[in-house]
Amino acid sequence: MSFGSISKEAHETLAIAMNRIGGRSNTGEGGEDPARFKKDSNGDSRNSAIKQVASGRFGVTSNYLVNATELQIKIAQGAKPGEGGQLPGHKVDNFIAKTRYSTPGVGLISPPPHHDIYSIEDLAQLIFDLKNANPHAEVSVKLVAEVGVGTIAAGVAKGFADRILISGDSGGTGASPLSSIRHAGVPWELGLAETQQTLVRNGLRGRVRVQTDGQLKTGRDIIVAACLGAEEYGFSTAPLIAMGCIMMRKCHLNTCPVGIATQDPVLRAQFQGTPEQVINYLFYVAEEVREYLSAMGFRSLDEIIGRADLLKQRKVDHWKGKNVDLSSILQMPPVAVGTPIRCVEKQADRIADQLDWELIKVCNPAIERAERVQFESPIANKNRTAGTLLSYFVTAKHGEDGLPEDTIDLQFNGSAGQSFGAFITKGITMRIRGDANDYVGKGLSGGKIIVAPTADSKFIPEKNILIGNVALYGATAGEAYFRGIAGERFAVRNSGAKTVVEGVGDHGCEYMTGGVVVVLGKTGRNFAAGMSGGLAFVYDIDGDFKDNCNHEMVDLVPIVDYKDIATISNLVNRHVLYTGSTVAENIVNDFSTALSHFKKVFPKDYRRVLEAKRVAQRQWELVNG
Amino acid sequence: MADPRGFLNIEQQKHTPRPVYQRIKDYNEIYQPLPEESIRAQASRCMDCGVPFCHTGCPLGNLIPDWNDLVHRNRWEEALKELHSTNNFPEFTGKTCPAPCEASCVLEITSPAVTIKNIELAIVDKGWEMGWIVPTPPEKISGKKVAVIGSGPAGLAAAQQLCRAGHAVTVYEKDDMYGGLLIYGIPDFKMGKFYIERRINQMEAEGVKFINNADVGKTISAEEILSSFDAILMATGSSIARELEIQGRNMAGIELAMPFLTQQNRRCLDKPVTEKEILATGKNVIIIGGGDTAADCLGTCHRQGAKSIMQIDYNPRPPENYNSETPWPLWPKILRLSPAHEEGGRRDWQIKSSKFVGDSKGHVKELHAVRVNQFYDETGERQFEEIRGTDLVFPCDLALIAIGFTGADKGLPAMFDVEIDSRGNIGTGRKTYRTSKPNIFAAGDARRGQSLVVWAIAEGREAAREIDEYLMGKSSQLKARDTSLLQIGLPGMTK
Repeated sequence: MSFGSISKEAHETLAIAMNRIGGRSNTGEGGEDPARFKKDSNGDSRNSAIKQVASGRFGVTSNYLVNATELQIKIAQGAKPGEGGQLPGHKVDNFIAKTRYSTPGVGLISPPPHHDIYSIEDLAQLIFDLKNANPHAEVSVKLVAEVGVGTIAAGVAKGFADRILISGDSGGTGASPLSSIRHAGVPWELGLAETQQTLVRNGLRGRVRVQTDGQLKTGRDIIVAACLGAEEYGFSTAPLIAMGCIMMRKCHLNTCPVGIATQDPVLRAQFQGTPEQVINYLFYVAEEVREYLSAMGFRSLDEIIGRADLLKQRKVDHWKGKNVDLSSILQMPPVAVGTPIRCVEKQADRIADQLDWELIKVCNPAIERAERVQFESPIANKNRTAGTLLSYFVTAKHGEDGLPEDTIDLQFNGSAGQSFGAFITKGITMRIRGDANDYVGKGLSGGKIIVAPTADSKFIPEKNILIGNVALYGATAGEAYFRGIAGERFAVRNSGAKTVVEGVGDHGCEYMTGGVVVVLGKTGRNFAAGMSGGLAFVYDIDGDFKDNCNHEMVDLVPIVDYKDIATISNLVNRHVLYTGSTVAENIVNDFSTALSHFKKVFPKDYRRVLEAKRVAQRQWELVNG
Repeated sequence: MADPRGFLNIEQQKHTPRPVYQRIKDYNEIYQPLPEESIRAQASRCMDCGVPFCHTGCPLGNLIPDWNDLVHRNRWEEALKELHSTNNFPEFTGKTCPAPCEASCVLEITSPAVTIKNIELAIVDKGWEMGWIVPTPPEKISGKKVAVIGSGPAGLAAAQQLCRAGHAVTVYEKDDMYGGLLIYGIPDFKMGKFYIERRINQMEAEGVKFINNADVGKTISAEEILSSFDAILMATGSSIARELEIQGRNMAGIELAMPFLTQQNRRCLDKPVTEKEILATGKNVIIIGGGDTAADCLGTCHRQGAKSIMQIDYNPRPPENYNSETPWPLWPKILRLSPAHEEGGRRDWQIKSSKFVGDSKGHVKELHAVRVNQFYDETGERQFEEIRGTDLVFPCDLALIAIGFTGADKGLPAMFDVEIDSRGNIGTGRKTYRTSKPNIFAAGDARRGQSLVVWAIAEGREAAREIDEYLMGKSSQLKARDTSLLQIGLPGMTK
């Protein structure tokens, strides 16, 4: 459950409880207030150990990732596979909008897919990115129980995830529409058994820990899950009930009378839950597990993990139930003696030979003393996720604020590998003379990225593709300038970065919630689909942009606002400065004519909120002089 | 739930009682109903909980959120239908029920509960006013005959249900008027008597046959009933009062609560009082007991013009607002203030009466008592110990004993050779209303011991369903709360 779906008080109570007893609470997909990363005066920590990275990428900043013990990639939710998280607009108050980097009052729908994951290799790349973003955190992947989940789990294990979560169908989905809850997903038992058997058969089980969740409530549930192959167990409905949830099922209406699933300050004040209640509940569960273990003749839970042979199908007389055959779930795969059936080793270290280790050495004065560092290095496409590890050390030292602009100024020459500059924080500037692969500036967190072709290149930059797909996906802050055309899905789910590019492929600015995108050339189709915040300015010299734009959630308006003119002027001028772009230079030289060709892509929701704010401000002025 | 934020925007507002100085001068009802618009606003406070705890709080399983919503939407006739689907006599519960539904209302956790009882009453009042409540005679006649002995709320509910299922029902009442404790137990200031008459008329129109002054064993023999009916329901209540066995109990001026209340009810109905009159007028009255009956005695004494009234209770004074022993949604064991307490009189706890002292004519003069302390012994049983040197003496011209009831009248079950259980009630299985005889059933206080009107109606409805199933040999179409009461079983019979 994210902060957003449940109140700050409830979310923090869960975190405190789990941190006290050595469990792990999960942020959910809503980001987390950085104030929670520091310990409280009484020694309690409100920091969620597991930080989720979901398709919406809400609030996934460098600082957020650095403060995690475990990073969880949420592929889907067990209770509503195929759909993303859903937060109704009236629950998005100012504070939640801030942690999610979105617009208050605007509903948030996470896209069903991750836009940077279209294959298992893409997932492996994200796992790799996250290990760079926080080398101390383990990475888990949340999958959904379904037929074939074993195969996916095997791929995830091969992709070097540390943990795999198999989520069942009956998890809580308080705020979801009925159509998303009913008849969706399958029980965790099925998915878990398949995962365990597939991993064991392929000799992968020893490398990963397996987790499961979906209405686990009792010690018996834990024992069954352990026998079917899970080492870790997720709870949420039951702890919520322990701290006061009375299953009102009004989570979607923001009127939870016990202050749990609401953001209403009046109702939040009614919250009476304590960490002790949650701890008490979990200790009872643990006690029940011990009782079962002793009755079964085992000393530790480890001894029964994966021991499906300990489970026996109960005979029932029911006309429908009596024909159920569970033998394929309860079987142990026939494998050689000694093949691990639970996690016995760590995944191989994959970041030991990263280019970043050299950068970190060079940038030490900057990291330690905030001195300016300039450095030039060749780069090739084997250098994946360049700069992310460096950013980890900057953030770990300097926190959310990072370093002053351009403190670390790195120049690369060549063709950068995937995820160039992913999650880099404030104060890091990374330039490329050459080009870059997919995912440039993924999750950009305040850093600056500049990509331009080499001066001696023969092609016309604005007519050629310079960077791959999914650049700036989930960026939360920072700047990026690309002298050339970007691939598909440019700046999807951008929530704060400002960028200039000379053309984009299909689906540009999809699901964007903040930031500014200036496109000095053509766009692909479906531009601005699902865009609920931020602004895009498109230099529409041929006048056909309106055909490529998805008008469902945005208006196209001419540039009249002086603030917009200033924004465009500022960004285009910087683009000229950083990349030497000739297109941009022409615009600057005849700015007033060029301005008439720009179209402002104005999200309707965002426009409504801004308008309301302006009216409120005006009223305030009238009343207060 | 038309307004999801209703409970945040509207404050609880209950029926207002008439001012004390005015109401103690008559026996008319205490509460004045709220205007319709206020009731509708109150109904919008219902949150339509995903798990409606009021359903479990209410012994009848009243569909509370449903009719709250209908009331708010101004769809009263539908609300009435919903209400009647689980409760035969909403006006009885609307007047007399302590509303366990409100205690288990989710709002009660943090703010005052939805005023369910008032809304219920408003629906049924509106129903009578608009003429929506009409007799609904059965569509088919089964040809089976059922005798219901006792016309209290359990008997009436069962009779109405059985009649609507097509059985020929005859209700036998030993008193001259129907209603059991509703008519002669509950004072007029709590519930006017015409409510009962209205329902009796409705039931007669539906085909229920009523016979009053019918004392089984005297005016009609058990054999005659057995031979002329296919099934018999005993709903005779828990009428044996618990006695206070202390020295001087036999003196004049020491009375049980029930005859005292019955006499006043008869006076209000302009019926003659044949026994020796018990009146509190001008007397120093001691009421022994702390329950609803004691409170009814208190209110009646105020109206009769007692000189002084003292109510004493054996138990310690319960906490005022919240009792950690009975957390939500349990029925809270807290200090209950009925309107009668508002009207005057003194009240004290932890007092055990030790003896009555009389004057030379054998009339009671004083009650001697002592303070007690409650404690729990090593087996967890509740015990009381007297506190030394705390002897109390109360002047007493009239003592009213209202310390509960010990079970059903044993004469009737004996006549039918029906077993009595260990608690003095008519014995049935825990999950059935059938007695030791296959065609004889029991419901209400006679089965479960002294309890609430709402439980009586609930038991009557369920017993009716079981009788219908017995008579027809197939599952019944009669609505009653789905087996829940049967599952819960009887109080004190957990093993």
